[in-house]
Amino acid sequence: MIIAEDVAILPAGIAWGLLIAFSILWVALGWYLGRNNKTAEDHMLAGRNVGLALATATAMATWVTANTTMTAPQLALQLGVWGMFGYSLGALGLILFAPLARRIRELMPHGFTSGDFIRLRFGKFTWRVFLVVSLIYAFGWLVSLAMAGGVLINALAGIDYRVGMTVILTVCVLYTLLGGLRAVIGTDFVQTIIIILGVAFIAWLTIDKVGFEAIHFNLMEERPELLNLLFPAAIMFLFNNLLFGVGEIFHSNVWWSRAFAFGRSVGFRAYLLAGLLWLPIPIVAGFVALATPALGINVPVADMVGPLVAAEVLGLTGAIVVFIVVFAALASSLDSLLAATSDLVTRDIYRGHFRPRASEDEQFRATKVMVVLLGLLTWAAASYRGELPIIGSLAAVLYFTGAFVASAIWPVVAGLYWRRANPTGAALSMIAGTTLGLVSYFVIGFYVAALVGAAVSLAVLVLFTWIAPRDFDWRSLAEAEPRGTAGTTGGVR
Amino acid sequence: MTISVGALGTIVVIATSIATLAPILLITLFVHDWKRGCLW
Repeated sequence: MIIAEDVAILPAGIAWGLLIAFSILWVALGWYLGRNNKTAEDHMLAGRNVGLALATATAMATWVTANTTMTAPQLALQLGVWGMFGYSLGALGLILFAPLARRIRELMPHGFTSGDFIRLRFGKFTWRVFLVVSLIYAFGWLVSLAMAGGVLINALAGIDYRVGMTVILTVCVLYTLLGGLRAVIGTDFVQTIIIILGVAFIAWLTIDKVGFEAIHFNLMEERPELLNLLFPAAIMFLFNNLLFGVGEIFHSNVWWSRAFAFGRSVGFRAYLLAGLLWLPIPIVAGFVALATPALGINVPVADMVGPLVAAEVLGLTGAIVVFIVVFAALASSLDSLLAATSDLVTRDIYRGHFRPRASEDEQFRATKVMVVLLGLLTWAAASYRGELPIIGSLAAVLYFTGAFVASAIWPVVAGLYWRRANPTGAALSMIAGTTLGLVSYFVIGFYVAALVGAAVSLAVLVLFTWIAPRDFDWRSLAEAEPRGTAGTTGGVR
Repeated sequence: MTISVGALGTIVVIATSIATLAPILLITLFVHDWKRGCLW
């Protein structure tokens, strides 16, 4: 759906002003923070010694995406209270990753990517299967974020979808290119503060102006199913979302690269704290959608409900706050994903498959080229929003990848903690889990894809390991580190 | 079984309060790390 400029809730002039001001801020900050990057390790892992404040903020900011600020209200509108509670269970992914982050840092003090771990732990076949799963997910998430940017700017200011999407993507590519992970983490801190304050501000004013009595009464009159605690599809969604969140975090290089980048004793505390602070965000962001019957808002497209409520309750101020919040949320996730995926492609595809003897300088340059290429590919895919059969809404794109990521949960967990896990079983568990998860996505619905993917993957991995257990020496993860990497380990904490 | 207005209100107010305090905690941690010279 395209919003015409004359019915938009934010004047285009103000929207352009905000876009330009924040774009300059992010790019300047990115350049400043990354100006001393000299090696691939500096660029990809920010020196491996990130402290607790920046580590916590970057984990939070990356996990609070436009999908949180826009899809949480959408799910509250579609699935009621369980929609927003279910989304908040995504925090468990961060919390459960805390011990994994500590173990990853201990086992692989020189590691760079999640692909490094899978290759060393399970061998090349499983590594390649994992790369397919991981890259499909990363690209799906990138496209959904770019789409969210275009949708938001169009919904709020009437600026053409492709123009808005192009601006946001270009800004993120630019500062990720200039500053690498240091720029990503530094901007994430500022973006986290903006996002949380903005979301809380809108929620407090909605509570004040509409009130819980009016919200509850009007929902009971018009949409009582949204208050139903036994809404079957919503309960399925709750478990599905939990597994989806865990799968996303456990396998994705976005989170692994941070585990390698955080100081030695920081990873556990940072992920735990970030999860606890993230837990209420989807409830705060999603709750406002429940006010639509009380406010008499007609919602033309579900994923626009958040901005529409904010504009109705707060007028121009609400539209400005939402615009800034979602721009920050989009940037904080897009930059992280661009950085982590370019690292994965550089290390595991370019270096791992084509240039095994690539020097430090060559990898440094290749990472930057990959950021630009990923940006271009994402732009091309997001430009065709609505013209591909599976791309219809943000949630559809997001949950399509659920089957892929959930099937990677158990191979990662077993790889880190189960000495006898079978490598072939790990590969086949991802293939079978993804396949049956996708079948359930199309046959049953988006809310079961991750659930089925995780269950099938677990069954296959356990079966293979039970039939043919393999021994593994954890020390080989540190010893077998690829040659040619920088010798520094950073991390005195 | 529907959620009561009291339960809904309580959950949302607690969640919004935590979200309001989170930036203060992060800024405090930032200042703490900065003073100790361990931001990065």
